Amino acid sequence: MIRAVGKPLEEVIGMVQDYPRILVAGCDGCVTVCEAGGLKEVKVLAAALRLYFTQQGEPKQIDETSLTRQCDKEYLAQLGDRIDGYDAVLSLACGCGVQFLADMYTTKPVYPGVDTTFLGVTEERGVYTERCQACGRCILADTGGVCPIARCSKRMLNGPCGGSDKGKCEVNPEMPCGWQLIYERLKALGQLDRFEQPITPKDWTTSRDGGVRKIVREDLRV
Amino acid sequence: MAPTKDRQTIGGGNGTVGAVMVVGAGIAGVQAALDLANSGFFVYLVERSPAIGGVMAQLDKTFPTNDCSMCILSPKLVECGRHLNIQLLTLAEVQEIHGEVGDFTITVQEYPRYIDMEKCIACGLCAEKCPRSVNDEFNQALNKRKASFVKYPQAVPLKYVIDRDHCIYFKPDKKTGKIGRCRACEKFCPAGAVDFSQEGKTHHVKVGSVILAPGFKTFDPSRAATYHYRQLPNVVTSLEFERILSASGPFEGHLVRPGDRAEPKKIAWLQCVGSRDVKYHSYCSSVCCMYAIKEAVIAKEHAPYDLDCAIFYMDMRTYGKDFERYYLRAQEQGVRFVRSRIHSIDLGQDGDLLLRYMDEDAGLHQETFNMVVLSVGMEVPGDVKSMAATLGLELNPHDFAATHPLTPVATSRPGIFVCGAMAGPKDIPESVMQASAAAAGSGSLLSEARWTRTRTKEVPEPRDVSGEPPRVGVFVCDCGINIASVVSVPEVVEYAKTLPHVVYVQENLFSCSQDTQVQMLKVFEEHQINRVVVAACTPLTHEALFQETMRDSGLNKYLFEMANIRNQDSWVHTQEKEEATDKAKDLVRMAVARATLLKPLVEVPLTINQRALVLGGGVAGMNAALNLADQGFETILVEKEKELGGLARRVHHTIEGLDVQAYLDDLIARVRAHHNIQILTQALLVSFIGYKGNFVTEVLVGPGMYERKIEHGVTVVATGAQEYRPTEFLYGQHPGVLTQLDLGRVMHESPEKAAAWQRVFFVQCVGSRNAENPNCSRICCQGAVKHALELKMLNPEMEVVILYRDMRTYGFLEDYYLEARNQGVLFSRFDPEQSPRVMQDKEGLVLEFQDHVLQLPVRLPADAVVLSAATVAGEHEELASLMKIPRTSEGFFIEAHAKLRPVDFSSEGIFLCGSAHSPKLISESISQALAAAGRAGAFLADTTQTISGITACVEPERCAACLICVRVCPFKVPQINQENVSEINRALCQGCGICASECPAKTIQVSHYEDDQLTAKIKALF
Amino acid sequence: MRLQYPTDIRIIQVPCTGKVDIIHLLTAFEEGADGVFVAGCLEGDCHFLEGNLHAKKRVQRVKEILDKVGLGVGRLEMYNLSAGMGPRFAEIAREMDQRIRELGPSPIRKAKASLPKAETEMRV
Repeated sequence: MIRAVGKPLEEVIGMVQDYPRILVAGCDGCVTVCEAGGLKEVKVLAAALRLYFTQQGEPKQIDETSLTRQCDKEYLAQLGDRIDGYDAVLSLACGCGVQFLADMYTTKPVYPGVDTTFLGVTEERGVYTERCQACGRCILADTGGVCPIARCSKRMLNGPCGGSDKGKCEVNPEMPCGWQLIYERLKALGQLDRFEQPITPKDWTTSRDGGVRKIVREDLRV
Repeated sequence: MAPTKDRQTIGGGNGTVGAVMVVGAGIAGVQAALDLANSGFFVYLVERSPAIGGVMAQLDKTFPTNDCSMCILSPKLVECGRHLNIQLLTLAEVQEIHGEVGDFTITVQEYPRYIDMEKCIACGLCAEKCPRSVNDEFNQALNKRKASFVKYPQAVPLKYVIDRDHCIYFKPDKKTGKIGRCRACEKFCPAGAVDFSQEGKTHHVKVGSVILAPGFKTFDPSRAATYHYRQLPNVVTSLEFERILSASGPFEGHLVRPGDRAEPKKIAWLQCVGSRDVKYHSYCSSVCCMYAIKEAVIAKEHAPYDLDCAIFYMDMRTYGKDFERYYLRAQEQGVRFVRSRIHSIDLGQDGDLLLRYMDEDAGLHQETFNMVVLSVGMEVPGDVKSMAATLGLELNPHDFAATHPLTPVATSRPGIFVCGAMAGPKDIPESVMQASAAAAGSGSLLSEARWTRTRTKEVPEPRDVSGEPPRVGVFVCDCGINIASVVSVPEVVEYAKTLPHVVYVQENLFSCSQDTQVQMLKVFEEHQINRVVVAACTPLTHEALFQETMRDSGLNKYLFEMANIRNQDSWVHTQEKEEATDKAKDLVRMAVARATLLKPLVEVPLTINQRALVLGGGVAGMNAALNLADQGFETILVEKEKELGGLARRVHHTIEGLDVQAYLDDLIARVRAHHNIQILTQALLVSFIGYKGNFVTEVLVGPGMYERKIEHGVTVVATGAQEYRPTEFLYGQHPGVLTQLDLGRVMHESPEKAAAWQRVFFVQCVGSRNAENPNCSRICCQGAVKHALELKMLNPEMEVVILYRDMRTYGFLEDYYLEARNQGVLFSRFDPEQSPRVMQDKEGLVLEFQDHVLQLPVRLPADAVVLSAATVAGEHEELASLMKIPRTSEGFFIEAHAKLRPVDFSSEGIFLCGSAHSPKLISESISQALAAAGRAGAFLADTTQTISGITACVEPERCAACLICVRVCPFKVPQINQENVSEINRALCQGCGICASECPAKTIQVSHYEDDQLTAKIKALF
Repeated sequence: MRLQYPTDIRIIQVPCTGKVDIIHLLTAFEEGADGVFVAGCLEGDCHFLEGNLHAKKRVQRVKEILDKVGLGVGRLEMYNLSAGMGPRFAEIAREMDQRIRELGPSPIRKAKASLPKAETEMRV
């Protein structure tokens, strides 16, 4: 899922300080799971902002809400009848949600309350690691289920670079070498012969280099 | 309105009395009383002193967890005090007994308290005004109390008592010879509770059985003149030191020495004072090593400077579960351990104390300490001896109750059980275990009379208030003058009338008095009150009382809120009347704000399947099964092997000389014959689901591995342990190297072979007390002594040498150690750095070791080398993960609480006994098995358990299934269900609120402490 | 023991400090509390095993927030003590009272220009 972390309070203050009426809007999806933008964080941030501005002698109206998801129009539409009561919205959704919210309410300033970081997993509560870079053409079938795009610092596609040292990455020696992981996994699967088949040059048009990405699933459209 | 019952009542047995008397209300007596009262017996709890709690209430912290003693004890005392089926008889003594098991009549003499317990509100004015100061025995006479007093602040019952021996009233006037002077307490008591005319009462109590738990007294060190205990104020006993450390003690927890209140920089502990000393008591008191270490560790924590703590000892006996780790940690924390017995204490300068000792290097040392703590042992008090005589019980040579190793809680008289220190010196968990075991013993004798003597309380069906707007009734208490002398109660009353939703306000002189309660009940009905606020003393002692009255009037007890205007206001702001009145108004306003938002909560009955499952068919499992079956519960005994018997199959005699195999045969026969027991052998547990009262277990049984699904209400884990297979000392390479179990077999099967040996060495701590297994295996020292004595019997000429690190023959086992020395068994100590070496040469086995007296290596041929191999945990990894029960790093199962819940798992409805818990002797396994069966039986018998109303509830619509609640719950209760949302089983939720506060979607609320109910209080304050 | 402590403390009872929510603490300050202290069991002695450890983390986070919004870290504190430590409670109450007096009234309360009131406190 998407992982995000709350922005520093000072940064948020800087964004919203000119607006007298602010709605802090959370998202019940990924950012709730990674404890960055659910209703609890909404309440905490709203309270912190109220305390700050009250303390500054310029109290503001800062209200709280959270939507089921901010990446779906139907849920965003639920804000329709109240959004005019605010001068700005502080969204604690991921970058998608923030943008979609802004898309929908074109004249309303929308600000991000979290930094969207990566697609990752929960190692344990409060520890998340990246696993996917959404490149658009998955090659996990060839690499034993370990992604060289997300887990090799250099996105090497056919084996490690010369900097792999004792299973660690030369870019970040704290990090395991992605290709070491691929090797171990293929070994465990008894599929080391896969190394004999080189991975053909990857089509990057589906990734960032292919420009702004879009999915259209005809099978779901009526 | 259909009445509901708190307790069920069923028909009585023929002549068997469903009541039990528990004598002595220390932790053992309290535990036994609670177990019995919860499982359907009426309990008379007889206590000699004015309050229950015993010695544990005097302790500061407890080993090995360093828990605050009072904190963990107090809830049990409160439960005892409130229990509908426990009658406390304080200031009381047993005087006579007639009848026999099932139907005893006991005469109890209750001495006058001179204070009417019904009237006393524990305000303390009597003590404040009492002119007579006397030594406070609770604080070991380190400070003073008054002649009118409570034993300690958390005492149960919290009622004052007048000490007749010191009260001026009872002292005849020198001139006239008349009594009756002073009477200050009587004059000042606001409740009219002082009654000098009170006389003693004689009760004739009918019970089916008796449990004795009268406890111990500490050895009086003034008997040993060389310590100069009476003359040297800075020589204190360990119990005095507990009081010095205690925050509620004479020095409020500041570590100072009594002589001059100076902070000690160096403290010495002298072990075995009165113990292991043939002049006084030859037995080992079992607990002193651990408490001395604890006191040293805690003292170091207390001191804001580098405190030097030294413990002088003979053998460090840290033999209990995880005790060795505690000892090691203390060494790391800088506690010094000096192996030397100190003979005498001399006075140094400025109150300091001079110790002269020989250490192991045979060097003579002289060291000055600021303070010396005498680790005094346990002994049987004189009045306990005379009670034993009254009851016609046998005592052992040390004056403790005589018990048989295979029936460790039964006395010589049927129907009379014993637990705690009267059955031998022991620590708290073992006392608690024995208490539950004694309760189990009583329970199985009297099972047919369960619920025949218990009291029931009928309450009307609660009124549905859901549609009504809040109508708050406020009752402001004067508490005599306790509140009214500081807070202007009329002002608070007038103020309360102005608060929203308040429909009725009243001032009470004593809200808790019986007549006020009756009057309040009328008011609830007259004014259609549906929320009650009482502004008075403290919810700790009185919430339950007011809630009871609400229930009597058909109001849900959760619609109650208390404003604490005494303990948190008038008592602590006595000089600031105006501020205290303002505070009282705030507290009332806050209470009303919360009260209007309170919701009625239902306590749903817990369904309980009446069947028990016992895992493990060794001595512990069979004893547990047998007792549960005797208590009347259908029991399924699951054993993974073909045969019942477990590890005891390989033990031939106990140290007392009992034939273990004969015992096992008899035990197996009894288990097989019991109509309530079903045995599944060669059975493997494959699935375990459910929760307390409602478990479903799947096992694969027999060679055919057929599947069997068992529904049961409780589970007892008794899966045992095993003997370590040594890889050291040529074990397995030379036939002359044996473990103790091997030796037992040789002596049993071919005694002539053993008799021919000329020299045998025992090597202790093989596989224990090392880096891989830091703990002590507890039973090997006595095992070596037992076998050494047996070898000496076979061949008195045989040279038997035991190479040991510390001889840990705790309790009465010390007698056998002494006997072994008398029989000529040689004992030689070694350090782990200079471990003995076993070699093989042309002649045979050779053993080389460092003689600790000569400080020289010795090399001797041996006919046999016996390794005291560790007791290690069984292979329980899979079982633990299936049942979700925790294990120590060495693989033994972890009980819910090392001190007070020694046979419970933290998952309710699952219990633990035998060596699966930690290594132990057969007698200890039996005792623990009975305890587990007692606890399990008490759980099954209490068919009217309800689920608390205060639990966490998930609002599923907004749950993100994020798993945070699953991860943070300390009790592992929340689970993501098939609808993919979190679900919290109310029967298991403890109501702590951690999940609610951590939920990132804010979709969990704890009922009765919902966010708006709490914030209402905060908002009302401003 | 009836040890005297300053009168401007109000206690709010919770089942365990594990129940004290970050939001409750912030609410207290928003409402105008000059100071708040959370009194939990001794570490390792929590009746619910870990409640006080969670509370400690939350108090730490709220302190950081208070610092950033300009109230400073001194108005909030977590203390660990047992039910048997009455003298310590009184000592903490005095300590906290003294500390808050030195810090002066909460700027929030001043800003809200509400009536002068006292501190609040949460404890088990």
